[in-house]
Amino acid sequence: MSEQPVMVFQDVTKVYPLPAGDVTALDSVSFQVERGEFISVMGPSGSGKSTLLNLMGCLDVPTTGDIFISGTRIGDMSDIDLTNLRRDRIGFIFQYFNLFPLLNTLENVTFPLMLKSGKKADAERGRQVLRSVQLEESLYSHTPTELSGGQQQRVAVARALINDPDILLCDEPTGNLDSKTGAGIMDLMTELNRKGTTIIMVTHDHGIAEYSKRTIKIADGRIVS
Amino acid sequence: MSGGIFYEIAKRNVRIHLLRSSLAMLGIIIGVVAIASMGILGNSLVLTVSDSLKTVGDSVIVTPHVGGNTRGFGGGGGGSSSLTLSEQDFMQIKRVSAPNVAIPVLQSSDRMQLGVGSDEIVATVYGLNPDDVPELLKLKEGGYSRGNSGCLVGSTFAKDHNVKVGSRILIGTDGNKGTLRVTGIIEERGMAFDVSTDSAVVATKEWFDAAYNRDNYDKVVVKVKNLDDLPIVKSAIEKQMNKRDTVVDVMDTRKTMDTIFQAFGQITTFVSAIGGISMLVAGVSILNIMMMSVTERIKEIGIMRSIGAQRKEVMAMFLYEAAILGIIGSIIGGVMSLLGGYAISTVMLQTTKYLFVPSSLIHIVYGMTFGIIICLVCGIYPAWRAANLNPIDALRHE
Repeated sequence: MSEQPVMVFQDVTKVYPLPAGDVTALDSVSFQVERGEFISVMGPSGSGKSTLLNLMGCLDVPTTGDIFISGTRIGDMSDIDLTNLRRDRIGFIFQYFNLFPLLNTLENVTFPLMLKSGKKADAERGRQVLRSVQLEESLYSHTPTELSGGQQQRVAVARALINDPDILLCDEPTGNLDSKTGAGIMDLMTELNRKGTTIIMVTHDHGIAEYSKRTIKIADGRIVS
Repeated sequence: MSGGIFYEIAKRNVRIHLLRSSLAMLGIIIGVVAIASMGILGNSLVLTVSDSLKTVGDSVIVTPHVGGNTRGFGGGGGGSSSLTLSEQDFMQIKRVSAPNVAIPVLQSSDRMQLGVGSDEIVATVYGLNPDDVPELLKLKEGGYSRGNSGCLVGSTFAKDHNVKVGSRILIGTDGNKGTLRVTGIIEERGMAFDVSTDSAVVATKEWFDAAYNRDNYDKVVVKVKNLDDLPIVKSAIEKQMNKRDTVVDVMDTRKTMDTIFQAFGQITTFVSAIGGISMLVAGVSILNIMMMSVTERIKEIGIMRSIGAQRKEVMAMFLYEAAILGIIGSIIGGVMSLLGGYAISTVMLQTTKYLFVPSSLIHIVYGMTFGIIICLVCGIYPAWRAANLNPIDALRHE
């Protein structure tokens, strides 16, 4: 069972119907991601990277073709099931950190856990994950605006990891950080991957892409290598 | 449901935008105060009037018909144009009303003096059979008069003119109708349909007949023992007396009171409805700030949805926010209504005894409930909009 790929794209096409004519953002894309892989997705603007990211993150469904996340086909899932899938199987890391400004560090990290359990935050689990992303304990009660960019991204990584997802999906995770802090975050990613976390990272920074073990290049909605 | 964290976010959002939230709440406070204090005032007025009318709610009052063809009222008076009821009319009324007591009433206004040489005043004089008086009037002081030279006076009359049991009253100009000695002071009756004695003098029928040369009656009051019989007695009298022409007008006091209370009720509802309009305006401001809150937090909603928050949870978060504004605003409004009601009652009615009764206090509950409901209703659309945002578009929003 553990050998099952965490993500499979089979002949996936995404068409956006627009008044001026249909736009094919992804055209017959097929690939699969094995457990424990560290993949970067690269491509120029308008190549279909964002569409691919939305589909991988179950924020959208394909027009044709099939997507399987840990063996589950997402094509005809309801919004409620897709939302639960995102909550339980996928960890999101965004370029702009996207923490909740009204919540402190610990609350931000335990938010998905509360969504899943429906109970009050398990603070100990939150602290444990925050320690694993090497964030100082004194910052746990701070709000995002009181943290540096690097610290915020570490909180975002911890939030993505809290529900023990199958895949960590990163959208330009260092795009809003200086090179030194970015390198620190990438070292953390590498460390997480070494411990078994599957990571898919969308970037157009070749230097960052070098941290991954495999690169999927995309152009004009098709995988080119 | 992970309601706790969404409630917490809603609470913090209200707190972080304190000025905006307070202004929205102010609208709700004004709305609650308007509805509740208008309701309290209306209800207090109804209670005040009902208190002063309740002693007369058990009567049927028969008066000569005004304005129609008459068959020459005044019985033996033949051709008299004055509208009165004859002894024969009274006997008929008495017969159909039995076993209830029918009381004939004579009434006039006259000048009087409270001692030789004192200022002349004008007051109502009633003439009643001494046997009927205890049925109709209760005394505060003294006793019922038996002899023809005795009289009773109303409590307001006694107070205004410093009249005591034993005082003498000269009736008519320079006492030409005779002198009456006060034997008792009648308990305050308030506004009444049968006899309004508070500012009047009540003499015996015999004295009245002699003094005013009258042997007909101005009205007949039927005291109905069982209130459920009121309409039966009323229709029996009408049937008997108004066979061919309309001879008498018959008034059922309870029905009249019901009409009065109904009118008061309508006024209260109308005034409360005006208060309701201010609540609707407050609702619009809640809708406005909730829409603002959603627009400001589109990206946050996108993040929530992308990391696994369900639509209903996002919706609940905004409804919590509307509910917090509604509940806090309504509680403050409720307290202020109580204080406002206290002030209005004290100033306008000189008493607060009608404020702390369930029928008044319920208006505070109405106001508060309406406030909370308005907030929730006005929060539904913004919350629905937030919940149904496309997560991809919301995430991209700057």
